[in-house]
Amino acid sequence: MLTFIARRILYSIPVLIATSFLIFAGVSLIGDPLGGLKVNPLASQQTIDHITAEKHLNDPIPVRYGYWVRDAVTHKFGTPLLSNVPIWDDLKRVIPHTLMLVVTAELISLLIGVSIGIYSAIRQYSVFDYAATTFSFLGFAMPVFWLALMAQILFTNLFLAWHVRIFYTSGLSSPDPGTGIHWVLDRAQHLAIPVMVLCVLNLAVYSRFMRASLLEVVNTDYVRTARAKGLTEKRVTMKHAVRNALIPVVTLAALNFGALIGGAIVTEQIFQLDGMGNYFIQNLLNTDIYPIMAWLMVVAVAVIFFNLIADILYGVLDPRVRYD
Amino acid sequence: MPEPVLSIRDLTVEFKTEDGIVHAVDGVTYDVFPGETLGIVGESGSGKSVSMLAVLGLIPQPPGRIVKGEAVYKGRDVMEMSKGELRRLRGGDMAMVFQDPMTSLNPVLKVGFQLTEAIQAHNDGVSDAEARKRGVGLLELVGVPNAEQRFDQFPHEFSGGMRQRAMIAMAIANSPSLLIADEPTTALDVTIQAQIIQVLRTAQEETHAATILITHDLGLVAELADRVVVMYGGRIVEKGDVFTIFSKPRHPYTVGLMESLPGLTVGQVGLQPIPGQPPSLISLPPGCAFHPRCSLSNGRVRCRTEIPMLRDTGHPEHISACHFHEELEGYQSKLVSEPVA
Repeated sequence: MLTFIARRILYSIPVLIATSFLIFAGVSLIGDPLGGLKVNPLASQQTIDHITAEKHLNDPIPVRYGYWVRDAVTHKFGTPLLSNVPIWDDLKRVIPHTLMLVVTAELISLLIGVSIGIYSAIRQYSVFDYAATTFSFLGFAMPVFWLALMAQILFTNLFLAWHVRIFYTSGLSSPDPGTGIHWVLDRAQHLAIPVMVLCVLNLAVYSRFMRASLLEVVNTDYVRTARAKGLTEKRVTMKHAVRNALIPVVTLAALNFGALIGGAIVTEQIFQLDGMGNYFIQNLLNTDIYPIMAWLMVVAVAVIFFNLIADILYGVLDPRVRYD
Repeated sequence: MPEPVLSIRDLTVEFKTEDGIVHAVDGVTYDVFPGETLGIVGESGSGKSVSMLAVLGLIPQPPGRIVKGEAVYKGRDVMEMSKGELRRLRGGDMAMVFQDPMTSLNPVLKVGFQLTEAIQAHNDGVSDAEARKRGVGLLELVGVPNAEQRFDQFPHEFSGGMRQRAMIAMAIANSPSLLIADEPTTALDVTIQAQIIQVLRTAQEETHAATILITHDLGLVAELADRVVVMYGGRIVEKGDVFTIFSKPRHPYTVGLMESLPGLTVGQVGLQPIPGQPPSLISLPPGCAFHPRCSLSNGRVRCRTEIPMLRDTGHPEHISACHFHEELEGYQSKLVSEPVA
């Protein structure tokens, strides 16, 4: 097992180098990173020359990439092009925000989605199953931005009508959130709608996946054996069927976690949440390559890490899988 | 005649499929007596397993449906039992060994766990340690070496033969009075088959259970069974004791089965298969389901129009569902040049 983990981490190094170089080259080729500055009458030629020299913008891309690697390793990704605030300080702020949003949404949808999936499968073709199926297809088909906007409008109007604040529709916290339980409540009121919006799609995914997985398992010979032993229906389902059906679902969830660290870009934009997705979009619009690269590295490491977690979990859940 | 352990009367089971209704079992009637081994023989899809699965309540409904019939176990109709009663019967008084040991054990649970689970499901208050002791004992009984270590292994660490032994251990865990073995050796190598037959014998001696042996392997039937039920197209076509069935079969299908066996005698030219294919259970041929493949029918109208009933052949307890089985009077199977064990 340890050799397997070590080997996987070693494999990921060339992957990180290759992706980072490709993205670096790609973003560098989008356009002149100082284009905005050059048409700004207030920016002096001196400033432009200074930034160009400091960031080696006149050097070829591979050389610039080399400088970037040096900065990333020695100075925690350095600073953006047009500001002196260290990139790492920004990341340190936005990563917890995104984690709070995404982990909550993921856990809720995993828990509820798996439960719905199990119930749908053991009561296949029941009213509940059809309702869940309809809901899932709605969830799949609904664009996130539309749902987010509708939720925003609904809760804004509710506030205007009743003057009672149930959920906030924008931002991450009130200007003065207080401390302790007040802070938690304030944060929950702000995150509730974005979490719900994210849950709709995830719920659809997990419930369908769980349903399909369980339906496949309940027809296997070993579930029939379990039943033939005279076990209670509950035990047959939970111990024998669900245990096996969960294996692919858990793997999928672990992989999802990695991908979600990049932030829920659309949701964060609409609800003005100061998270990873928002950070990425802002810097992409500024064609500021350095924060984008830092963002990318965080996401890449997270994806590789959670892939590894998924593999390890798979081995833990299925005794037939051994990584020696 | 002693009281039968299980008597099945006029059992009819259907499955609804997209192509139509599959008549898997049609009006099947037979008894199993204490301590005996009843062999149920037939081709794939002749309804052999379905009748037993129906008795145990293991037919998924839908698509399956038990249309009519009863299965009286110790004076009570299993079909009328509540789900809880039937559950206690399964794995307790009636246990089943399935065909494919590679897929019949849960891959993510240890063999010992799956074994003790069967014990604890039917014996309230058996401690884990006690269940473990009994489990290891059962594994030893069915001939699993190093039972103590094997107990804590996963099914994928067992070979096919060992898994089937574990399955048998699971089935006899609660000393059933009826053991159903559904093609117990089909998925195994020939050498392993012989060992498993021995294990089944031991299991039967140990528990004194009546055994129903579902198989298409006539050798296995000759080896183990006392009485034989031959099924074709979801119906019973012939029933009798094993010696009579093997020496003087009185149904052309049984005769065909005997003829198609490879013999040990010299001078045999190739195998003699039954012509044609087994019928689809969705649309059985009218009249006798076997008539299109029958060597005796010769296009006679009665075979095509009238479903033959099981009739006495003149031998005790030997019945055959052929309109013209008298014509087979005097037929001697080539198998009985040497006496059947």
